[in-house]
Amino acid sequence: MSDAAEVPQATDGRAPDVMRVGGWIPMRQYADTEAVDFVIVGTGAGGGTLACKLAEHGFSVAALDAGPYWRPLEDFASDERHQAKLDWTDERIVDGDNPLVLGANNSGKAVGGSTVHFAMVSLRFRPEWFKARSQLGYGADWPIDWREMWRYYREVEQALKISGPVTYPWGPKRPAYPYRPHEMNAAALVLARGAEALGIKWIPTPLATVSAPRGLAHPCVYRGMCVIGCATNAKQSVLVTWLPRALAAGAEIRDLAMVGRIEHDDAGRVTGVHYHRDGAWRFQRARNVVVAGYAIETPRLLLSSASNLFPDGLANASGLVGKNLMVQSNQAVWGVMDEEIRCYKGPPSLSITEHWNYEDKGKDFFGGYCYMSQGVLPVTWAGIQAGARGLWGQALIDEMTRYNHQVGLKMVGECLPQERNQVTLTEETDQYGLRIPRVTYAYCDNDKRMIRHALGFMRQNLVAGGGKEIFEETDDTCHMNGTARMGDSPRDSVVSADCRSWDIPNLWICDGSIFPTVGGVNPSLTIQAIACRTADRIKAMAGRGEL
Amino acid sequence: MRAAVLREFGRDFAKTSALTPAPQARILRFSGRNRRVDIASAAGRQLNLSAAILALSVLADSAQEHYRGSFHNRTMYAPLGVAALALGGSLFGVFDRRPMRHPARDGVYALAALTGLVGLGFHAYNIAKRPGRMSWHNLFYGAPAGAPFALVLSGLLGRAAEKVRDAAAGEARVLGVPAGRLLAAVSALGLVGTVGEAGLLHYRGAFQNPAMALPVSLPPVAAALVGAQAIRPSTGRAARAWLKLTAALGFAGVGFHMFGVHRGNGGWGNWRQNVLNGPPIPAPPSFTGLALAGLAALALMAEAADD
Amino acid sequence: MTDRFPGYDVLGKRHTPSWNDKTREVIDQRLAMRADAHRAFTDTQWLTLNALCERIVPQPADRAPAPLAAMIDEKVFEDRTDGYRDGRLPPLGEAWRRGLAGLDAEARTRHGRPFHDLSSAEQDGLLGAVQKGLADHPAWGDMPARLFFEKRAVHDIVAAYYAHPKAWNEIGFGGPAAPRGYVRLQADRRDPWEASEARPGRADQARRENARVGRS
Repeated sequence: MSDAAEVPQATDGRAPDVMRVGGWIPMRQYADTEAVDFVIVGTGAGGGTLACKLAEHGFSVAALDAGPYWRPLEDFASDERHQAKLDWTDERIVDGDNPLVLGANNSGKAVGGSTVHFAMVSLRFRPEWFKARSQLGYGADWPIDWREMWRYYREVEQALKISGPVTYPWGPKRPAYPYRPHEMNAAALVLARGAEALGIKWIPTPLATVSAPRGLAHPCVYRGMCVIGCATNAKQSVLVTWLPRALAAGAEIRDLAMVGRIEHDDAGRVTGVHYHRDGAWRFQRARNVVVAGYAIETPRLLLSSASNLFPDGLANASGLVGKNLMVQSNQAVWGVMDEEIRCYKGPPSLSITEHWNYEDKGKDFFGGYCYMSQGVLPVTWAGIQAGARGLWGQALIDEMTRYNHQVGLKMVGECLPQERNQVTLTEETDQYGLRIPRVTYAYCDNDKRMIRHALGFMRQNLVAGGGKEIFEETDDTCHMNGTARMGDSPRDSVVSADCRSWDIPNLWICDGSIFPTVGGVNPSLTIQAIACRTADRIKAMAGRGEL
Repeated sequence: MRAAVLREFGRDFAKTSALTPAPQARILRFSGRNRRVDIASAAGRQLNLSAAILALSVLADSAQEHYRGSFHNRTMYAPLGVAALALGGSLFGVFDRRPMRHPARDGVYALAALTGLVGLGFHAYNIAKRPGRMSWHNLFYGAPAGAPFALVLSGLLGRAAEKVRDAAAGEARVLGVPAGRLLAAVSALGLVGTVGEAGLLHYRGAFQNPAMALPVSLPPVAAALVGAQAIRPSTGRAARAWLKLTAALGFAGVGFHMFGVHRGNGGWGNWRQNVLNGPPIPAPPSFTGLALAGLAALALMAEAADD
Repeated sequence: MTDRFPGYDVLGKRHTPSWNDKTREVIDQRLAMRADAHRAFTDTQWLTLNALCERIVPQPADRAPAPLAAMIDEKVFEDRTDGYRDGRLPPLGEAWRRGLAGLDAEARTRHGRPFHDLSSAEQDGLLGAVQKGLADHPAWGDMPARLFFEKRAVHDIVAAYYAHPKAWNEIGFGGPAAPRGYVRLQADRRDPWEASEARPGRADQARRENARVGRS
């Protein structure tokens, strides 16, 4: 058997069957010279979902991903170091006042994208966030109404059989999740106890991992290695949900296919993509190109595709491609308990509170945050002890022996869009000869006030839940969005509400890049909902001859 | 030796059991009080059998679940011991053909019912002290009401069995009410409770397999029919049919649940996890036990109606 | 520090359902690493690296150490980058080579001996100075010594150690877990295939339970 990391697997009319060891399923293939309706760059939450929906709507689709096509059941080891193979570890330069840590926590290089190793937290936006500027006074408005998004959230929750609470205590009424919540582990109960002591609500986290069998997927076995890749397929990643559907509907998926440049004709319409596969550069012709590479690779590709006609890069008349990069603050408080918590058991975040997403009183900042219980594997935990506390030597060794007693709460906080936070290109090149991106980031004062608020509040919660010897991890971030924002006008946005480029009508962007604001929840559910909406919009436009 | 005893028991039991749906046939052959004593004795033994099945279910289930709970509290051994006693006493009752009560069995059944009640208290306390109190999450994953409830039922049915054995059919009264009707009511209520437990846990499992709908659709009909008999006795033919279906479902459930365990990650090779985290194999026979009790009740009522 | 998980050996679970084939393959490779193999560093750099690893993660004398220097060497040789690089640091291999040279130069200037010849206390003192930003030997070049120490040296060595089963034994981590995961998720509950901690007065019980981990 050839190594999926080195040799393309989806070839010869078949693709790996991710649900069966050594299995294959038939796959339709398109010749490079055949102009497909849509070539999609990236198969993560945005691209993978869109590939499925467009194929099901009857379009011809070829979806390219730079990463390998894994079969989790046979390719994933229970090992943090080995599973770094799921991360995008190509070189990227980070700078600014708060240089980001990239790789494991906010990227993925695999068919299925970072959903292959995401923490599965599947939350909806607070409705008001879609009109953050006009209703809450900060950031920017989305050109989409929350009620429409609410329908698409439901579609995604059904597609992923989200396991979540029966009733949801915040926001407008929503139906019970398709699957029931998972049993909370000891770490999750610490959050719950503390939250009750503080008088705020909490819930078992809605997660994209099944609490009961689904098709060939077994229910979660609580092995706790979700963020290094689920080896059982309980996790409802794009790899095991949307992509098998996409293949069944006639889409082609090309693994180990790195797109380096988007081509256009003299009229300024894109004509296809140059991609590197099997040791050679190729060109796939397409009637439409969708970029879905996430908040760094998407602007990188658009900027790299600069030409005489578009000297500042494609879709960049507004000058906003790469700008307004938003992370989410991911600070934490950690402590130890007398009891053995063994937080390595179960999905990492089994309980959560969205209290400060929905409560506006008592805030000295704009935006919101949620926070959740934490499970951490040894390498990551040692990295926190060494990084956040500066421990090494015997002090580190001794502290690490308390691993089974440690407990923590981590925020996912809304950082505000700022044009100075951005993705640009350096002069250094990578293994494909493509220019390496530079990622520049600095918190603004509002971000810092939110982080201070969150650290203070989480500390109270942790202490109330029984945590002792509390320390703060003050510098972590997660998720990246916003480098090709959507909006109402070509002046201040890159794409329209339909994820269609204002400048080039057959160029689309469909991933976290299009977020005008990030909200205080993990973005994967929203990215997938946007993809579902985009597919429906494209179908409607095609029906009217507007493509 | 044991096989011979069993064979003899089987023949004897089949002759008089309320499971054989032919009381009318027996009426042709027997008459008078002797016959009614015979019927009552058989119904009593069938109730002993109900109590035995429920006790077995509780024994296996609490052994499994309390092992999962690491027996962190010593009292978690209690239901194992008591359920074992109730099982032993019940089997003694099933094989004991003397048409009379036995004080040892009576005592064991009282103890079982009491232990079940105390267990219900413990389990309610377990849920009440968890964050979220009576939340869905705690109902799904906290200590269940179903198992101690089944132990209470085992004790009650056993007590009733002893009363019934002591009297002629149509004469047995429990708490001043004709035994048949009271037992029909107990069977109906027990089925309702067990349906509730299965419904809750199958909802936890998102009814992901269509078969998971069976225990919340068949037994409720049986419960309604046998409950109706308690209020307004009639021929009970439909009730008997549905109770038999329910009894069979209890057995089939074991098979379904074994399939469910195999369905877990790693299959039977990972039995240490999947037996504990998968569907509980010992739980479904509770339906069988309660359905048999209902059938015994109907047999008693048929006799009473003949008078 | 006394043994918190007496007798616990995560490798005892190798043949239980907690390990699948892929995990066995990966861990076997890690265990088969030669402690003295180096391809990315010169002999001098190698000596410094080994001494550095011993100070960042001192390992007990009563067992063979995890081959941390070899794991760093492999990472650098195969250029296994992390996916980001602080703009003030050079690329992975160059940062390591320059950092090791810087440490050695710092030691020779302060103590007149190479880093690996210093006593443990001297080495710790020197590393403490680097961590505080008090190292400024020209050998560091334009690379901030403190940044190298935090973001490269400690980061990589600590990550290597806690990826090794020997470290998992030390902290009572359950280790690989597929196809079998865990059943008992509540506080103070362990599955029979998890490490048992020696609470005060319970060392013997923990030892007994740990002896059964591989048979559960």
